[in-house]
Amino acid sequence: MPIKSYIVLPYDGEKETLVKSLKSIAGCEVAEATNEEIILLVTDTQNEEEEGQLKEKINGVKSLKFMSMVSGYSPENITSSTS
Amino acid sequence: MKRIWIIIFFSVLFVAFIIVWNKSYWSGLEESYVSVEKEKPHSYLPIDRGVFSGSERGLRYEEMPYDEAHQRSLETYYDNRAYDGAPPSIPHPVKEERSMGSVTCLQCHKSGGFVSKFDAYAPITPHPEMINCRQCHVTKNTEALFVKTEFIKKEHASVGNNNALPGSPPVVPHHIQMRENCLSCHAGPAAPAEIRVTHPQRENCMQCHVLKMQEVTDREMNTTKFSLP
Amino acid sequence: MKVATNRREFLKKMALLSAMTTAATMFPGILFAEDQVAGLEGLDNLEWKKSPCRFCGVGCGVLIGTQNGKAVAVKGDPASPVNKGLCCVKGYHSIMALYGKDRLTKPLVKKNGTFVETSMKEALDLIASKMSSTIKDHGKDSVAIYGSGQWTIPDGYTASKFFKGCIGTNNVEANARLCMSSAVTGFMSSFGIDEPMGCYDDIDYADVFVLWGNNMSEMHPVLFSRILDQRQKRGVKIIDFATRTTRTSMAADKSIIFNPQTDLAVANAICYELINKGRVNESFVSKHCVFKKGETEMGYGLEDNYAFNDKPALIDFEEFKNFLEDYTPEKVSKYSGVSVKDIKYMAAYYGNPNTKVMSLWCMGPNQHTRGTWMNNLIYNIHLLTGKISTPGNSPFSLTGQPSACGTVREVGTLTHKLPHGVVMNEEHRKFAAEIWGVPAENISPKPTYHTVEMFRALDRGDIRFMWIQVTNPMVTMPKLKRYRDATEKKDRFIVVSDVYPTPTTEIADVILPSAMWIEREGMYGNSERRTQHFEKMLTPPGDAMSDTWQLVEVARRMGFEKQFNYKEESHIEEIYNEYRKHHAGKKHNMAPYEVLKENPGMQWPYVDGKSTKWRFNEKYDPACKEGSEFDFYGNPDGKAVIWQRPYEAPPEMPDEEYPYWLCTGRVVEHWHTGSMTRRIPVLHQAMPHAYVELNPEDAKRLNIATGDLVKLTTRRGEITVPAAINLRGVPEPMQVFVPFFDEHMLINELTLDAFCPISKQPDYKKCAVKVEKA
Repeated sequence: MPIKSYIVLPYDGEKETLVKSLKSIAGCEVAEATNEEIILLVTDTQNEEEEGQLKEKINGVKSLKFMSMVSGYSPENITSSTS
Repeated sequence: MKRIWIIIFFSVLFVAFIIVWNKSYWSGLEESYVSVEKEKPHSYLPIDRGVFSGSERGLRYEEMPYDEAHQRSLETYYDNRAYDGAPPSIPHPVKEERSMGSVTCLQCHKSGGFVSKFDAYAPITPHPEMINCRQCHVTKNTEALFVKTEFIKKEHASVGNNNALPGSPPVVPHHIQMRENCLSCHAGPAAPAEIRVTHPQRENCMQCHVLKMQEVTDREMNTTKFSLP
Repeated sequence: MKVATNRREFLKKMALLSAMTTAATMFPGILFAEDQVAGLEGLDNLEWKKSPCRFCGVGCGVLIGTQNGKAVAVKGDPASPVNKGLCCVKGYHSIMALYGKDRLTKPLVKKNGTFVETSMKEALDLIASKMSSTIKDHGKDSVAIYGSGQWTIPDGYTASKFFKGCIGTNNVEANARLCMSSAVTGFMSSFGIDEPMGCYDDIDYADVFVLWGNNMSEMHPVLFSRILDQRQKRGVKIIDFATRTTRTSMAADKSIIFNPQTDLAVANAICYELINKGRVNESFVSKHCVFKKGETEMGYGLEDNYAFNDKPALIDFEEFKNFLEDYTPEKVSKYSGVSVKDIKYMAAYYGNPNTKVMSLWCMGPNQHTRGTWMNNLIYNIHLLTGKISTPGNSPFSLTGQPSACGTVREVGTLTHKLPHGVVMNEEHRKFAAEIWGVPAENISPKPTYHTVEMFRALDRGDIRFMWIQVTNPMVTMPKLKRYRDATEKKDRFIVVSDVYPTPTTEIADVILPSAMWIEREGMYGNSERRTQHFEKMLTPPGDAMSDTWQLVEVARRMGFEKQFNYKEESHIEEIYNEYRKHHAGKKHNMAPYEVLKENPGMQWPYVDGKSTKWRFNEKYDPACKEGSEFDFYGNPDGKAVIWQRPYEAPPEMPDEEYPYWLCTGRVVEHWHTGSMTRRIPVLHQAMPHAYVELNPEDAKRLNIATGDLVKLTTRRGEITVPAAINLRGVPEPMQVFVPFFDEHMLINELTLDAFCPISKQPDYKKCAVKVEKA
């Protein structure tokens, strides 16, 4: 059950579109900053395979400029550190 | 001449006697009033009290090999705590019911070491100066309950999710009151494997690892909610 | 690995939180919408609020961490001058006492022997109508209320105003009678005003600590740790003067064991030694003390309707000196079991003018058929040496319940008391009636029953209705069977307000579910005159209602709307402000409500925005007369009383048939009758049941090992308890000790209901028992 969180930046002025398209993808949860062009994304999938598919889908979103992972959990490495 | 010296000698003795006598007489007359210093602000437990204590062991810890057969894990670490921050109960039989911890508990829990009887390393107490151990730490003599409880045990802090950035030093994800001495839990063979620090020789932990939950330092912070960034 | 859904949700929240934290470091000032943050706030950031601890009279400051409407964590309050951040095992787990599965949440009415759920409205209607009809049929003095030192200040105040002021009966008593009243009469007879002159800060100044029959390491562990801390820093001395070897004896620098009841003689021997060695502080004694003697051979209150009034008479120093001739260390040593050397050792510390001595005691001298005398005698020692009311020189009476001082003693929920003064005094009655808004004639000038006599009156039928709040008399009354049978008699109506089922709720006709501790707002007052406020942090479960509001509701139903015209949302503040009026003035002023809310407690007398730490000393106490140095203003002449109090034997001593002494007490894990602490898993698992401690020699002779069942028999009853040899404590040969917390092994079936004739406090520490292997 990988759960990962990302900081996502949209292209200028496309924040709304990006939020909309991310929200429409199953397994994605979105939180947006109110005063910056920044979006936080949490993904939740059943296994590695699904995780890969989801990632491809997200990468296909046109308004997405940059995406960086912050933290992640998976059943095997609940205790492992991201550092 | 000799006589003068003798006279001088005795008069010095006499004067000394008078001074000493007077001093003791006057101090005997002193009233028993003790001046109380002007009210100080409360003596808070400073948040980093004890952070450096035990640090002299840091170098030794670094050289210690990992004894993987006898490692503790975080799961069992929280087993005998009612919530994160609660005093742990004593998971083994105790030698002497009555004595003060300074003569029993601290034999093992002051400096640690392998205890063959329990096939484990003794965890080190972060507060060896408090010797009425059984004031807070009690034994477990039954598994049964008097009545079932509906107390909700809060999720304890876990590892791997306390970094701000990949590779950045993790913050301290728990309160540190009564356990300000980081090394007592995070270093040495009794430390839970997941939280054993790779660099025990660096003493000033809080230089890099900051508190995620601010320890309360004044009344203001006690009564107001902490807000997220 | 099986992962629960909530774990998953949790991880998601954690993931989001990390992202937010990261974003915040990268883009300072970044904001997120409220609803996104809302779910996360509780994740790590508990809401912390201050409260005094629910349990003993030390009154530690605790911080309660709540999350999603539940209390989930406890920390010691570093800002509290009482405990400075350290708690004991009970305090750290105190919040778990709120969540026992069998919490009472609905009112229950007994119908044909079984309890039936009902609504709060119906239960309160029933109580009010039953009270009214009982008063109509049997008179005002046939209804009674019995509370405890666990009552918050507003609870006790409401009860007193309702019963004494409105109904007009003095049938108001509290469990504190069983634990504190000798301390009260001790203060009243020696100083004319209740409660310690010193405070916990004395611990930081004293050089020697004498613990009089006080197993402080288990009973007041937080204060004991403060003493241990001082020993580490300054090398202070701890002397444990007791009848049994305990953890405290092990920690002490010197453990002195005495035979039960002979503490009276040893205290007198210390006074003899002080006079004999010329260690009396003559200028202090001549300026600030008088000598008195009272009645002797007062009896023990074993018979119904027993009455006693002390007749104090002035004596002079010579007469006092002559009296002490019977108490030379040599003579006393013969029957006290304390060596001449040890008596002189203690006297030497008290007598040394350069040593500051703090005496501490609790149930040992209080639960004593000569409890008032014992309290007087400790004051005698401090008065003769002038070691009083100065930092570090302090006779300090500890308390066992969180508000024994704040509620029972200060509000005055005892039959003879009013918030200010006593019912016997017309001025005092008028003063109270004025504030209460009732005619002065309403308050009866005659005290009725003290606790033991109140239950005897219930047995006899003089009392027909009793309301029991926040206490468990069916575990704590001595000679329990008589008083339990009394409650079950026909035509007795018992209301019990509590949070859990106990042996006391079993005998109830109506059970009201109470809101507990931080589920409502309130104040406690601890042993050092510190009043502490706590706010409502949690919603009480089901229909549970605070004891204060239960009383208000019933009082209104009985026609006292005018006197109880408080608003529900602010009634605690209103009641406290009204209560403060009773104590106005330099001698007892209470801190304002707003100040209590903001601070970790304030000590009365609170004068000019400041707590008074040392009373009766002109340097610290603004109520003292100018130029008096010391002013014991509780007494009209400003002088403290040194009492001539002899040794007298207890009413029951071991004999051929019952050859052992029986002592009862507590353990560190459990508080009072255990109805709360036994529902805390950690504490129950540490101390699952009662036990009987035997001396190893006796155990060997009787062939009893730890865990063997032992039958204990007294003239009142018998119980069977497992033995504990060489564990928590070791009694002397031919003595046994049993803790009283276990409702399944009720040691009070065995105890004797003899009491101190002055304080009416029973002696739970001494009776004769037979010990057999079961």
